[in-house]
Order: sequence, then structure tokens, then C-alpha cells
Amino acid sequence: MRVYRDDQKFLTFRINALLWAIVGVFVFLAGSFWFVQGVQAEKYRYLSDANALRPVTMPAKRGLILDRTGQNILADNQPAYSLTLDRVVMRPIVKADPTHRAKLIDFLSVVLGIGPQDIEARFAKGKLVPFARPIPVAEDLSMPQVASIQAQSLSFPELNVEPVQRRSYPYGTMSAHVIGFIGEVSEKDLGQHKELKQGDLIGKRGVELMYDEYLRGRDGAQFWEYDSHGRRLAEVVTARQAPVAGDNVYLTLDFELQRRAEQYFVENEFVGAAVALDPRNGEVLAMVSSPEFNPNVYTRRFTPETWKQISSNPFKVELNRAIQGLYSPGSVFKTVMAMAGLADGALGPGTTFDCGGSAVFFGRRFRCWRKQGHGPVAVANALKVSCDIFFYNTGARLGIDKIAEYAHNLTFGEISKIDLDGEKAGLVPSTQWAATKQHRKWYPSETISVSVGQGPLIVTPLQVANMMAAIANGGTVYRPHVVRMIEKNSPDGRVQKLQVASEVLHKVTLPPAALQTVKLGLWKVVNEEGGTGGNARVAGLDISGKTGTVQVIAQSGWFSTAGLPFMERDHAWFASYAPKDNPQMVVVVFVEHAGAHGGTDSAPLAKLLYESRFRNQIETARLDLTNPATLEMIKEGKLPVPGQTTKPPAIPDSGLGH
Amino acid sequence: MIRERSFSTLDLNFLGTALVIAAIGCMLIYSATYFSDPGLQTLRKQVLWVGIGITLAMFFLFVDYHVFFDVAPILYGIGVALLVYLLVWGKVTANVKSWIHIGTFQFQPSEFMKIFTALMLAKFFDTYDRAYLDLKSFLRVMLIIGIPVALIIVQPDFGTAATFFPLVAVAMFFGGIRWRVWVVTALIVALLAGAGWAFFLKPYQKDRIVTFLNPDRDPLGKGYQVTQAKIAIGSGGIHGKGFKQGTQAKLEFLPARHTDFIFAVLGEEWGFIGVAIVLALYLFLIVQALQFAKNARDRGGAFLVISLISFFIFHVLINVSMQIGVLPTTGIPLPLISYGGSSTMMFLIAIGLMANVDMRRFVNA
Repeated sequence: MRVYRDDQKFLTFRINALLWAIVGVFVFLAGSFWFVQGVQAEKYRYLSDANALRPVTMPAKRGLILDRTGQNILADNQPAYSLTLDRVVMRPIVKADPTHRAKLIDFLSVVLGIGPQDIEARFAKGKLVPFARPIPVAEDLSMPQVASIQAQSLSFPELNVEPVQRRSYPYGTMSAHVIGFIGEVSEKDLGQHKELKQGDLIGKRGVELMYDEYLRGRDGAQFWEYDSHGRRLAEVVTARQAPVAGDNVYLTLDFELQRRAEQYFVENEFVGAAVALDPRNGEVLAMVSSPEFNPNVYTRRFTPETWKQISSNPFKVELNRAIQGLYSPGSVFKTVMAMAGLADGALGPGTTFDCGGSAVFFGRRFRCWRKQGHGPVAVANALKVSCDIFFYNTGARLGIDKIAEYAHNLTFGEISKIDLDGEKAGLVPSTQWAATKQHRKWYPSETISVSVGQGPLIVTPLQVANMMAAIANGGTVYRPHVVRMIEKNSPDGRVQKLQVASEVLHKVTLPPAALQTVKLGLWKVVNEEGGTGGNARVAGLDISGKTGTVQVIAQSGWFSTAGLPFMERDHAWFASYAPKDNPQMVVVVFVEHAGAHGGTDSAPLAKLLYESRFRNQIETARLDLTNPATLEMIKEGKLPVPGQTTKPPAIPDSGLGH
Repeated sequence: MIRERSFSTLDLNFLGTALVIAAIGCMLIYSATYFSDPGLQTLRKQVLWVGIGITLAMFFLFVDYHVFFDVAPILYGIGVALLVYLLVWGKVTANVKSWIHIGTFQFQPSEFMKIFTALMLAKFFDTYDRAYLDLKSFLRVMLIIGIPVALIIVQPDFGTAATFFPLVAVAMFFGGIRWRVWVVTALIVALLAGAGWAFFLKPYQKDRIVTFLNPDRDPLGKGYQVTQAKIAIGSGGIHGKGFKQGTQAKLEFLPARHTDFIFAVLGEEWGFIGVAIVLALYLFLIVQALQFAKNARDRGGAFLVISLISFFIFHVLINVSMQIGVLPTTGIPLPLISYGGSSTMMFLIAIGLMANVDMRRFVNA
């Protein structure tokens, strides 16, 4: 049975009921306001005149940055003292004594040891800070400065010495390019992040910048009662908002590997970069850019002298060469060429080209790096001896667009999306690039240069490492990352650990047979006599790799550039992975203007890193007397007799090489 | 002819009151920000939003509200799609942080979703004429409200989701529900909430709920914000300190002084007299709207007005109450006065729609 209501009556009744309820609530609210504004007005007027309650910021502790294991703190906080000025307190004093401001500036000028105009400049900058909030005047006060200021607190009650946490990087220059540094917020930052305020410190580069949201934490506040003379009376404890510390960030960096790699560059006075990656997940185990900078310098206010020193450095210390340095890959690119040739069918494992030291392509003569030539070589041996003629032929068969396709698939020409700022994409040339970007035709002879990693092709060391990782793991391109875990600390003491998952960017189809041939070639480079990467050889570990030497100046003949002026010397590459059957680490070393062959200046660092990373495995293999290779090496005196203690791997001097 | 008849029944007092309230809002925003924002960016933006809001309101006033009923499912669908889009989009673009990004997405669509949901609800009741909601219809109504609420909760933005509560109250109180259904509904909600709390919510989500329910986490209820707001209001006394004379607001002792606590600026500068006038203006608006609902030509019109005015009532009562600590602090703005683009536009559209229903109250018009 349907029941129809008398619509109008039903609604009208309920609307009226609501209406009277609302009128009742409004009367109650008006009564409440009458109580506050009429009955209690005197009390609140007094509190208001006294500016009774004022917030004092309690800065949050910035999260730590730690190495992989958490055993080493790479970015820490240290207690320090800052000086602030409270204009609410100062205003009535200046009204009563117009000379007070000049006295204050004289006093500060003496205590801080800076000119009156500098203090005026800091006051002027403080005008952007809301009036009720104290403005920053100086930081990193020394204890004598703190003492002199506190001694004068009666004359200058507007000055406050505040304990703060200052960012410090205990290891100085170590992994500076990855960690980055912090600095004062800019106007632009303030526009983008509503939660920030003038004078706050935020990440400016590297992990400090990319993970700022986690590291920053949330400032708290204390609320103090003040009297009408601006004197602080007591804290309203119930109103206190505790600061929330920032989250700790664990990097993927291996402290030991990072330290060894940096030491290598410093001791040899090399300029360049090195990257060690885990090819199984994209974790960056070490990332070096040399020369380094000291982030501790950047967290303070710059003096003009510091600025001059930093900006006049010809080596651009702030540049992270591992991800921002763009270089020709040189012979390292032959790995991509071999892979492309085999996968595309332009080459077979037995395809042979005869190297006579030079050959003519498209009407131009191209030289092999070895004047006397290599004779007939197939792909694996061509990689081993880095024969240019072989790869000129490969390039001529593939054509530039096929090369570009494989180069793109193997991570070149686009950013790798690493969690660091300012990464560069490099350039992979193609006919389309020539047409759209250069407005010209692509010449086939240019393809020949690109085949050996020269010409317009430019890459970053990280891209080379990513390429090597894809070869090593059979075709998976991971997104490289430098952060492994974030440790969130809740105010109630709970700790939440958030792991960074590995992310597959894409997969490249590499036919198994082709992959096997390329890997064999890369193994020969390091492990066979006559291979160009013999300097990386480690007994007991199967390292595979490829060397590269990049000509910086046009050469018209065969000669070494070792004796040339620095800026004209060749660059040296070494890109590698190990162990060959179950790759766990990729190492790419790049030395700018080394002057020597890639195998001479770059390979020894890779060797050092493998020795450090696989120490146990190497020791086990060396003790394995059933291994004929081990016995052979002991006979030749290359390995100690088991039982004798082995020396820890020493860092070789720069003159080493063959 | 139809046009002329309609215009002659347009309630100018109602529209005028809304505009006076919006103007008072702009004046208070000026008072609250001129000191810390010398460029008056905040005020300029608010004036712009009021302007856009009035334009939108005109559209929603002059097009017959039955047309909006016809397109209500489309508008509602677009609103839901936008909310879903926000969720999906938020995950994809969170670049490096996507894997732990908890996410506070922009919720602008949720403000407009309030209008669309009210339209859907009114459309439903327009054709539903039984004395009480049976279970099936009741569930349909709850679904109409529940979809946007669920999507906003997932964001997760409990504060905004809670502002949809008045619609539930309207449906239950004016839709008509037997007392048995009340009891069963209450039981089911309690059970679901308990189970959800125990089994499904992650710790950070619980944190959010607790924070919404008790934003200060202050056991004594003497939080800083309320204390400062009371000092501002109380020190205003009967007559107030006068335009631009409020020291609490000027010196930034008063937090959120141009948004949630703007009523305290009114109390400080214009005293009890100012408070009483603004409360009277709001009450006039509410009483007029309820008259519109009584006189509406059809059930759809009546429910549209009731739904829309319920948002006003909810916001005004909660916001004004928290100024002097009658209710705990929440981030619910004061209609047409608090600084904020989407909320100002939403309330102006609501004004337009309510006047629309009243303008077309005669069947033979």
C-alpha cells in the first residue's frame, strides 16, 4: 500500500522546527559573544594590551643523511647559537629613546666584527619577515660573542641569543655531489612552498634538495606570556606544539667504495667521475665527481671572498660530472655497436673484417688507433683489442638510425630519472636530429665517427653505467637511485621504515646469442693477453669491461697526448661489471684529460672497487687449489702461497700503466 | 512574458544581503592582511573570486533550475570523474616520492561537488513523493551522498568530507525516515566505523582522523588559537577598536586571521555590535531561504533550497562557535567572508540557485 503524504504540511512543519532551532542557536551564540565582549571585556582588553601571548619558534631537527648501513652519518646537525632581533620589543624603546637604534648598531658592529652598513643591510632584509616574528641578525656566534650579548641584555632587551641546530657534513667533501647542501629559502621557494617562512633553511642541491620534504620536519612553537613592556614572563605549557623531527634518509652509497673512489681521484689529482651501480636493482653504490666541494662552506652565509673563490674555479666544482658532465663515450660505445650489429643481424659472431691500420669510407680515410692494424678480427676480439676498423664497418652496415635506436634503448640520449637534480640527457644523433635540430643533411661519413663513440654523440658517465648494467643483467634498464630507505620518526616514538623499491624503466630485447658474444668480448678485454683492460684484472674474480679513449683535439697522425697541455689531453673511460656470470656491480670510471689510454688511468680504480666489494669471494677463490688458474698464478708468483697473509690492495700511483 | 513575471518575483533583499556579507568579508580580509601583505595580493584575489562568483551566480539564477535538474546526473558524473581523476593523477605525478607519497591533493572539485550533489538529491526528491523513505530509496540517497564523500575520504581529506554531513541530515530529517531505520542505520554506521578503525585504517590515517576530531591535541582545550581568538574578540568590547585598529590581528598573534579565524577580526575591530549585525545578516539569509523552501513550486525546488542552506547553516554555526571555544577548532571557513576561492564561489552559486527557486515559485508563471 502506498502512503502519500500531505506534502506541504509535512515540509512546512519540519522547516518551521528547523527555523526555531536555528533562531535558538543564534540567540545562544549572541549570548556567548555578549559574555566574552561585554562581561569579560576588561580582562581580554588587558591581555590584548599586554600582547600577552607570543609564539617562539622551536626549529625542527633536520633529518640525518646516512650511508647504506646507517653506520656513518654523512649529514648531521650541530648545536650553534643564532642572534635574532625582536622588533615588537624594540619599538617602544626607540620611541622613548630615539638614539637607541644607533647605539644598537654600534654595539652589534663591535660584537659581530662587521661594518654598520652590513648590519643595516641585514635589518633591511628582515623587513620581509612579519613584524611579530624576530628577524635573524647573525648565526654561528662564538661563545665570547654570546657572553657579550647576554651581558648587555638589559640595555638591548630586543636581542635574543637562540640555540639552533646547524647542518654539518662530518666528512667534508665526501659524496658532496650526492648529498648536496642546504641554504636560506629564496623568494621563489617561498612562493612555491606555503609552509616555509623567511629565513628558513632548505635543501638546495642533491639529496638535501630532492628529499627536502622528508628531511625538513615541522617546526614547533612555544607560547610565552609577555607583559606590556615586552618582557617574557612564563610559558603557556598547555599550548606548546612540539617540533617534529625530519625523517632520516639512508643512501644507497657504500661508504667503503665511495671513500676509495674519492681517494683515487684526489691522490692522482684527476678530474672526472666514477659510478658504481648494482645492476640488479639500480642502486648507486658509489658516485664521485672530481674535483669536489665542501658543503660545509655552503651552509653559511657567503662572504664575498668565498663567492669569488667558488665561482672562479675553472673546474666547476659544483658540477656533478657523473650526471651533468657530457662527454664523447669513445670506444666504450663499441659495446653498443657490437650489441646492435649482432642483434640486428648486420654482424654474425664469425663476421670478420681485416684491419690494416686505416680504411676508406665514403671517400674519406679513417684510421685505427693501432697504426700497424689488427689483421682479420671477429666481433669478440674486436672488442678485446678495440679495433676501430671493425666498428667502422659495423657502423657502415647499420646506418646512423639503427645505431641511434639501439643507443636509445640502452639508455643514451635521455635522462635516467635518477633522484638527483640537474641530470643531463646527452645527445644521440640521427638523420632526424640533423634535419630538425641542425637543418642539414646527415652525412654517412659522420656515421663512421659515431661508430667509435666520437662525433656529436655525447653521454654522461651515469648513462654509460646504466648501459653496462643493462648488458650485465640481460636487458633490464632500472631507474638509478641514491636513496635506499626513509626512516620516519613519529612524535609518539614509532619508527616507520619506507624502503625505496627498484623501478624498471624499460626492457630491451637482447637475443641470447648476441648477448653471449658481446659478454665474451667484454671478458676478453680484461682477462686475455692483449686486451685493453688488463689493468683491471683481479685474480679470482671474472671482471668484464670496455676501455675508451676520447680525442679532445683533432689529430692528424698517431701519437700520444700524454705530454700535451692539460686541456688538450685525451679523456679516459673504463666501463665494466663483475662477476661475469652473475653480475652484482657495474663500475664506470671517467678521467678528464688523462692523457693516457682508458685502460691506464681509469681501469685501476675499477679494480680497486671490485677488490673492495668482492674481498671475501676473491680470497676464497685464491685459496682454491683445485682451480688450475689459481695454481698457474701461484707458480708465476702473481699470487701469494696460501697461508701467507695478503697485503690489502694498495692504491696505485699515477705512473702505473703499460 | 515569463521573463518579466520571473523578474518581478526576484528577491533582491536576499541577494543584497549576500553581497553585503561578501563586502564585509573583503573589508575584514583587508584589515587582517594589509600589515603583513602590503601588496594586498590576498584582498585582490578575494575580490576577483567574488566577482567570478557573482557571474557564476547570475548564470545559476537566470537559467530555470529545472534545467539543472535535467543535467544534474551529467554534472554529478563530471564531479565524480574529476574526483577520481585527482586521485589517479596525484599518484602518477608524485615523481620521486610517488612510492610513499601520502598525498593531500587539491580538493577544489569537492567544493563544486557540493552543489552537484545537492542538485542530484533535489532531483531525487522531486520525483519521490512517498511519506517515508523505504530502505531501497534510503540507500539510493545515501549512495548519492556517499560516492563523493568516499572519494574525498580516500584523498584523504576528512575535513572536507565532513562538510557533506548536512546533506545526510537533510535527507533523513526532511526525506522522512521511520524511527526503526534511524536505529538500524546508527547501528550499522557504528559497526562499520569500529571495524574500519580496527582492521582497515593505516596508522597515519588514524592520525588524520584523530587530528580532525581534535586538531589541537590539547587535553585542556585551552589551545593557542582559541586563546588568541578570545583575546581578540573580548578586547573588542561592545564598540570594537575600529577599522584597522585591531592589534591582535595586525601583530599576527591571531593565527589564520584571514581564513578560519576572520570572525575574531570582526569581533576585535567592530565589537559586539559588529558581531550582532553579521549574525543577524546570516540569520536573515537563513530565514529567507527557509521561506523559499516553504513556498517552492515543487518538492525538487524545496529540497534544493534546504540542501544548499544546510551548508550555510553548518559552516556558520561551526565556524562562529569555534571562535570562542564553544566547539573545537576545525578548518571550516565562514561562508562568503573567509578568504578562499572555491568556497566563496560555491556559496555564491548556492545563493543564485536558492533565489532561482524562489523566483520561479508560481506554477503559472
